[in-house]
Amino acid sequence: MDEVSAFVPPEGAPKRQLRDRTTSFNSLPYIKPAKLRVGIDTTKPVLRNRASASSMKSAGSPTERSEIISPIPRRHLLQTSESQHWLHPPATPPFAVSREPSPVSATSTVASFRRRKASTQHMNFSALMEQERMRSFPSYQTIKPNDHEEEPGAGRRWVRWMHKNGLKQWIVPSAVGAAMYWKWCIGLGGYSGYATPPIYGDYEAQRHWMEITIHLPFHQWYTYDLQYWGLDYPPLTAYVSWLCGKIGTMFNPQWFALDQSRGIETPDSKVFMRATVLALDTVVYVPAIYLFIWAWQGTRSSRTQHLALLTLLFQPALHLVDFGHFQYNSVMLGLTLFAMNMFASGQDLLGAFFFVLSLGFKQMALYYAPAIGSYLLGKCIYLGPVHGLRLFTRLAAVTVVTFLVLFLPFLPPFSSFTTILDPITRIFPFNRGLFEDKVANFWCATNVAFKWKHWLASNVLVKISSALTFIGFLPSVIGLIQGSIKTRVWSSSQESTQAAQIESSANTPTLPLLPYALLTSSLSFFLFSFQVHEKTILLPLMPMTLLLSGSSPDSAAFSWGALMNNVAVFSMWPLLKRDGLGIQYIATLVVWNRLIGYNPLRLRKKSFVDLLSTAVYGACVFLHLLEFVFTPPARYPDLFPVLNVLVSTPVFVLIWLWSIKRGVEVGWALEGLPGSRNMKTSASQDRFGVESTAQRAAAANGESMRRDMGVRAMSLGYGESRRRLPFRAQSVEVEENS
Amino acid sequence: MKLLLFPSYRSTDFEVHRNWLAITHSLPISQWYYDTTSEWTLDYPPFFAYFEKILSIPALLVDPAIIDLQNSNYSAWSAVVYQRTTVILTELVLGIALLRFVRGTENISVQRIISASLFFHPGFLIVDHIHFQYNGFMFGILLWSIYQIRQGNKLAGGFFFAVLLNFKHIYMYLAPAYFIYLLRSHCMSPTGELLPARFISLANTVIVVCVVSLGPFILMGQLPQLLSRLFPFTRGLNHAYWAPNVWALFTAADRVLLRYVKGSGINVVINESGISSTSRGLVGDTVFAILPDIKPAHTFLITILFQSIFLAKLWKTPTYKSFLASLTLCGYTSFMFGWHVHEKAVLLILVPLSLLATSSHAYCRTFVIASVAGVYSLFPLLFTPAEAFVKLSYALLWGFFTLLPLNNHTYEFPASLPWVILDMFEKTYLGGFLLLHAVLTLLPLLSRSFESLTFLPLMLTSIYCAIGLVWAFLRLSAIYLTQE
Repeated sequence: MDEVSAFVPPEGAPKRQLRDRTTSFNSLPYIKPAKLRVGIDTTKPVLRNRASASSMKSAGSPTERSEIISPIPRRHLLQTSESQHWLHPPATPPFAVSREPSPVSATSTVASFRRRKASTQHMNFSALMEQERMRSFPSYQTIKPNDHEEEPGAGRRWVRWMHKNGLKQWIVPSAVGAAMYWKWCIGLGGYSGYATPPIYGDYEAQRHWMEITIHLPFHQWYTYDLQYWGLDYPPLTAYVSWLCGKIGTMFNPQWFALDQSRGIETPDSKVFMRATVLALDTVVYVPAIYLFIWAWQGTRSSRTQHLALLTLLFQPALHLVDFGHFQYNSVMLGLTLFAMNMFASGQDLLGAFFFVLSLGFKQMALYYAPAIGSYLLGKCIYLGPVHGLRLFTRLAAVTVVTFLVLFLPFLPPFSSFTTILDPITRIFPFNRGLFEDKVANFWCATNVAFKWKHWLASNVLVKISSALTFIGFLPSVIGLIQGSIKTRVWSSSQESTQAAQIESSANTPTLPLLPYALLTSSLSFFLFSFQVHEKTILLPLMPMTLLLSGSSPDSAAFSWGALMNNVAVFSMWPLLKRDGLGIQYIATLVVWNRLIGYNPLRLRKKSFVDLLSTAVYGACVFLHLLEFVFTPPARYPDLFPVLNVLVSTPVFVLIWLWSIKRGVEVGWALEGLPGSRNMKTSASQDRFGVESTAQRAAAANGESMRRDMGVRAMSLGYGESRRRLPFRAQSVEVEENS
Repeated sequence: MKLLLFPSYRSTDFEVHRNWLAITHSLPISQWYYDTTSEWTLDYPPFFAYFEKILSIPALLVDPAIIDLQNSNYSAWSAVVYQRTTVILTELVLGIALLRFVRGTENISVQRIISASLFFHPGFLIVDHIHFQYNGFMFGILLWSIYQIRQGNKLAGGFFFAVLLNFKHIYMYLAPAYFIYLLRSHCMSPTGELLPARFISLANTVIVVCVVSLGPFILMGQLPQLLSRLFPFTRGLNHAYWAPNVWALFTAADRVLLRYVKGSGINVVINESGISSTSRGLVGDTVFAILPDIKPAHTFLITILFQSIFLAKLWKTPTYKSFLASLTLCGYTSFMFGWHVHEKAVLLILVPLSLLATSSHAYCRTFVIASVAGVYSLFPLLFTPAEAFVKLSYALLWGFFTLLPLNNHTYEFPASLPWVILDMFEKTYLGGFLLLHAVLTLLPLLSRSFESLTFLPLMLTSIYCAIGLVWAFLRLSAIYLTQE
């Protein structure tokens, strides 16, 4: 009791008033009356009412306790997604379920929580709350240890162990080291085109590019012997290849001798090639992850951050493709991730620069372009005509200049006009088919029933696929732009020119939408666009894994993320099998799932995702067994890849729909941003008309919270401390009981 | 995790074991120790032969080519997968034993570190999973035996050790400590009277095990043949790559003296055959140029001498801790002074030493030095570039995860000036490994022309590790002999 009471000093009405003033200082008149009422009411019945109706503020104990206003950590992006949490209050506090109903207000709070939870099923990043609550509430673990012990996951246990043994500061280096070791071990296995002359595979392609870039002048890069792995990636890849080739030649010129070295597979050249992937990955992707954790999850507990880092570091699909199959995807993804980090910290110009680099490394990054483009456009709109236009011109300038620099050697002063056409035609091969291998996308899956190639001409197919892709990513674009338009009003109003400037360097309200938008747009490309590879699933996988990395094991993002990762790896199985990576396939999957504490084979039936996952995993296992036992009949040599596609595609389609849904949900949350209330009262009242009472209350409360948060970090801390109150109250009771 | 190492480099030992699978499968038992189809004849005791026999049965289902005797150097993917899987599965014996160790100990968290460190020991990774042997399995049995002894179940401990001896006779190195300890603490009362009933039960256990193992061969009158296979005394003092022991230092000193003598022209009798013999990397006899020659008898004598000192101490204090220490020291002595010691035998020291590491900071520090030097001395087993990164990063991670927390758990501040200086020296030595590795990595790049120096990296590694291991040996002996 002592400890808690020190923590929560008893306090009367005056101080509460004071605190209220602090908020209302920031908040706008519209919400003020409600708040005042809350502040003044101190009698018990009303308190109970209040708890169930509106506020997180419902301070637990009858004696009106309050909290010490503690120093508030710097808030980053997740604060904005956290704020949605006010709209959808956190899941029922775990300990509340296990305990008997306790007297007075805590129960009522909990009850209201539960009720509201029922009305709003999905909440993203609820892990955030979970973790923070645990940290702020020491007796959590003693109250319900069982809740914590159910499949904690090797990663979580390891992180905990490290923390307990005073090795906290070593987690990041050792995790990175372990990941490097792991990647290298994967690299010991086979790769694409291993020992299959005359054309070999992706490994040989990459090696061949190193060979041609160091030996040939610029203008021949995109024209030299195109039949044998002509360069078909943008210039940055070529430059990187050149660098790697130069370094490799220092060791042994034989490895990259022009034409002589084709298909060279000596052990030391393999080691060198693997080392280049590992080095580039470590230089680009790993720091990008680290920055991501820092920029997007900077407010989380360090354990969660470390766990998220582990989740991202050991992502199986990327490992298998980059270190097994042999490609340099991690560079492209890392650059995009850098761009995201820059957006999160308000450095939009740098972000655009990085994204162009990413595009310049692999044109596949175009899958992200609609989301990122509309995010930036949205931000320009959000900033209003003056600042927005300025930002827009700057962004345009940065983008164009970066592109120009990238393509500089192929542009007029250095070469003839027609040279620029070579890379362009190589990079965008529209003359290839609708799909090559069996890809788990819409075209390939429906091809089973409907032979597209027979029915429609190639150019029509191109148009249809483009149109479908466009429709596919449209929701994310609309979401981002609409979100900005909704929030724009505030910053363009007269009084806030100053604030607009502040905002231009800090967060944008639409930022939490960005991962979902990236997911939607890249998945729509993957599902509907032309000439997709199975490896391309890595692109949608990245935003999904980012979302997964911060979520708690019982959230929807976690379930979907784990499902998508596993299914993605499964969808690449035919490819991996060809490369002789069967063992690595099993090992990476097992390790990663153990690490995040996810057991695919466990039967869950809590929600739709769980049921779906169970069914899908069942199908996967069944397919593997079938493939192991039977050889496919001669009539259908591709039977198993096709079945694989048929299992994977629905999952990807569902995830695409889920990402749209989440995008819309997050978009709703944005509406409550400061200022929008003034202009759009009627609109939101319409909305209230259709929503349930509980939701309305939650929304109203969330609205006020939004207001606080949008403006200053200080009010955020205020919000958080209020949130803690119910749990504190419970801790008081626990102490009293014991 | 170890699955990923399947495709990595395999030493000749892989073929050795494959050949043994073939021998035990396709030949009748009477031919096992006579077969010379391949140069890799069966030279492990009978239990191991039985073990291979059992393993060869599923192998028939996986791929019959594995157990074809004539099918020399067969390394298809199926064979690799099968044999590596057997290593991983049999290592579970070790895992279970280690789990048992964790249970029922007073300091669970520390013991857990020890157990984990043993299970993930880079020595096992290098020797078993890459190089290919079944050490995890063997040490599993050894740890079962030690575990039984810790639980006071000494008869079972003796039984397991007898079984182990019949799997791999290298564990003879540890036998004296077992013998003395079981005799003193199990067969004698604390006051020193012999308890015949216990003695007979123990003796019977051991004899039964040996009969089961050797019986068929004794019946067939093959014992001499078997023993000649098991104990080949025709090899040299040092292995091709010098195991980092006293003789490595001795040989190195000889080389240095030779250089010096040649340079200064001092008139010393030089054994001419020695000039060319040493360090040429042949599994042959080592002849010294200047220093006196070493005969097997000498090494034997020195080993016995040192071991008897430790055993006398064990006789006086027959406790579990003391047993562990003397067990380690027995293995250590054999490693230090034995004839034709293989570098892999260093595991014989490191494993029991790990169990000791928690008892005090002195032990822990000894363990750290011995582990680092010992593990590093295993590195040359893997010389292909692809594995270089594997062994290095793995060993670093392992060292980091076990040595650091252990050190934190047991740390004591050095008490006086000599200790501080010693502490500094030891730290410098440990830091020197980084330098050594850097030099060894860069050396081939810098000096492609120095053909004569091909052996230099190995020599450097061996000598540097030998310094550490000898120091750790002295340290451990001193601690053991002085403690109460």
